[in-house]
Amino acid sequence: MIIGIDVGPTRTDAALLAEDGAVRATAKVASVPDDPVAGVGAALAALPAPGGPVTRVGVGLRGPARAVVERRDLARVGVLRIGGEAARAVRPLFGWPADLREAVCADATIVEGGGGFDADEWTPLDEDAVARFAAGLAGRADSVAITGVFAPVDDAQERRAAEIVRREMGEVHLSLSGELGPLGLLERENTAVLNGALHRVAGTLADGLRATFGEATTVLVTRGDGSVMGLDHLRRHPGLGLGSSLASTLRGAATLTGRDGAVVADVGEHRIRVGALTGGHPQQALGARIGGVPVGFWMPDLIRVPRSGPRLEAELVEAVDRMQPAAGRLPLVVVGGGAGAVPAALPGVAEVLRPEHGEVAGAIGAATSPVGGQAERMVRVDARTDLDALLEKVREEARASAVRAGADPRRVQVSPVSRTPLPYLPGVALRLHARAAGPPHLL
Amino acid sequence: MREIKPEQLEDMARGAGILGTGGGGDPYVGKLLAQQAMREHGPVTIVDINEVPADATVVAISGMGAPTVSLEKLPAGTEEVTALRALEKTLNRRATHLMPIEVGGLNSMVPFIAAAQTGLPLVDGDAMGRAFPEAQMVLPALIGVTVAPMAVADDKGNTLVLQTVSNLWTERLARTACVEMGCSVSCADTVMRGDQLAESLVPATLTLAENLGRAVREARTAHTDPVEAAADMLNGVRLLTGKVVDVQRRTSGGFARGDARLEGIGTDTNRTLELSFQNEHLLARRDGEIIATTPDLICVLDTDTGEPVTTENMRYGLRVTVLGVPCDPRWLTPGGIELAGPRYFGYETDHVSLPT
Repeated sequence: MIIGIDVGPTRTDAALLAEDGAVRATAKVASVPDDPVAGVGAALAALPAPGGPVTRVGVGLRGPARAVVERRDLARVGVLRIGGEAARAVRPLFGWPADLREAVCADATIVEGGGGFDADEWTPLDEDAVARFAAGLAGRADSVAITGVFAPVDDAQERRAAEIVRREMGEVHLSLSGELGPLGLLERENTAVLNGALHRVAGTLADGLRATFGEATTVLVTRGDGSVMGLDHLRRHPGLGLGSSLASTLRGAATLTGRDGAVVADVGEHRIRVGALTGGHPQQALGARIGGVPVGFWMPDLIRVPRSGPRLEAELVEAVDRMQPAAGRLPLVVVGGGAGAVPAALPGVAEVLRPEHGEVAGAIGAATSPVGGQAERMVRVDARTDLDALLEKVREEARASAVRAGADPRRVQVSPVSRTPLPYLPGVALRLHARAAGPPHLL
Repeated sequence: MREIKPEQLEDMARGAGILGTGGGGDPYVGKLLAQQAMREHGPVTIVDINEVPADATVVAISGMGAPTVSLEKLPAGTEEVTALRALEKTLNRRATHLMPIEVGGLNSMVPFIAAAQTGLPLVDGDAMGRAFPEAQMVLPALIGVTVAPMAVADDKGNTLVLQTVSNLWTERLARTACVEMGCSVSCADTVMRGDQLAESLVPATLTLAENLGRAVREARTAHTDPVEAAADMLNGVRLLTGKVVDVQRRTSGGFARGDARLEGIGTDTNRTLELSFQNEHLLARRDGEIIATTPDLICVLDTDTGEPVTTENMRYGLRVTVLGVPCDPRWLTPGGIELAGPRYFGYETDHVSLPT
């Protein structure tokens, strides 16, 4: 049996599923303010006895984003950027709200090292500078965020720097940017710093979930890219959970309808969130802000529509059309507690589906989402380039990233590599991106 | 003459993004760099073209390369002045003023970095009045000003000074060097005397960018139409309001090219518009008929927000309004059309005047 639980701001939803995804029971309870784990426990208690061994539990949480917005329980972070001269022009945390910066930043520095567009452009890591910075942080920070220029393409220097920091500081939480976000240095660095700031919140959540479900159950938490990760991954990468509630709702809609391509409307108490699924994955967007800080997480692309008002139908129809990933007409799947507010037929929408149990789609998505990973790089293609080998490498990195997050290595599947041309370079230059997903490696 | 403070770059960058006609690079990183430089070194003075003395030595400061790369590998912030000093050494005299080479996109912000660091005044005007992809596509070329000598500097401290036989060679050699230097470099070039500026620069374009960005922001705040505000500020013609229904990209002959099809909505229902783009939006056909071509500006704006839609971000479902904005009239002379008309970009058509 599989259990899925989705902790919302007012309600916590739960679902009990058979191994094949069939829904056996659902429950809704009031959320417990400021104690998501207690809400999870209450929702669990509201479900009937599973009637068989529970192999996995998937949980959707919203605590981390609130901690940033409310500046609560944030850890102090040492901010290390590896990039040398090439990274000095915009300093770490430039443009952050002063109070958040004050709450989070223990110290920041830039050391020599980092990569470039071509493989031969890497400069060596200044290991002594890393050691000096780490030694100076002792007693002032319990987390270190490491961001290397071009780390999403090659994270060897970030890993080396992490070893040095651990040698100097002992047990300390480490955030490596290459594991957290895509290319785009400043946003990825912000992501790594917030990730570090959230590690205590995440640790408390992970401990609480472990105590609730026991040592023998595989517990997974949802991520903003629509996959899930193990509790150990959550402890290291709490930031990856940001934006996950819509992502798991989209996944739930796919599970309930058996469609891997759809536009999904999640109807809440006050507003409707519209997103899209392609190939079973939530359609992603970059460029979100959390607590006033631009971050580089993968999150679902989203349009919000107010739930009431004279123009509800027109606004919803437009949002659905905007979310269509291509000219083909995908069906609209309506889920969420207020699904009844959406008319059974909408002009210009070919098909409206209202799956049974749609009111707990988030919990079902948490239960059924695969464990995921992503990889990317930028390449210049000329006559000597072995593009096939590069594509294979990106696929392999995506696969490895999913396995690190807790996927069963034998059953990971990798998407085709997307290729986006880069402007203003002679010849052809491409940004390559692949994602991988598979069922969890069970305890 | 007026002083520009770091906060004013917000509006200017927003306007410069619109003037980038879908390319030119997102001014965002350039704005952060310039703001940091201005916070450290003080505000930048911009001067009107007619305030520049006749014997002034004016140098254009710009970046070359892939903006996407510079979002990951930020510039050091010292490249611009390094390039400037290398050029001054070759000239054997110091620059008295700096200028932007293009007002569209990232290069509107780059000269502010050097101006803040050197304290030199920045000319309120530029050599394109928009964004173009290649170094020879500048109005001063029409009066015989050469791009070279051109100094190129990378983040590692390497510099290169090009002395060439033509602007096309300057572009070709600089672009090759740029790739070898990491795909993102800074340039100092297009040296002019003060008395050449009026004849060859598009005047007051930094001020235009700032006013444009402010107009769009204020319209958004007031819940009025930001696209209308932009069109008014630019003297632009609305070519179509619609949604993107198809985007095709291909890489042929070593160039990335794209086409987008838009279907009209509202008063434009039943009309279609096809956009052809490379780095910038270059050609528009409405209901099968060519109605706008480079060197006129084809600005694609998000209908709701007035934010520019770049060629990279064109995708199905976007609600956009396409504006045609007249280019500087000097671009429409035979020499201007040869440099930046539709045929140069591989489109078999003459320039077509915008509808009125």
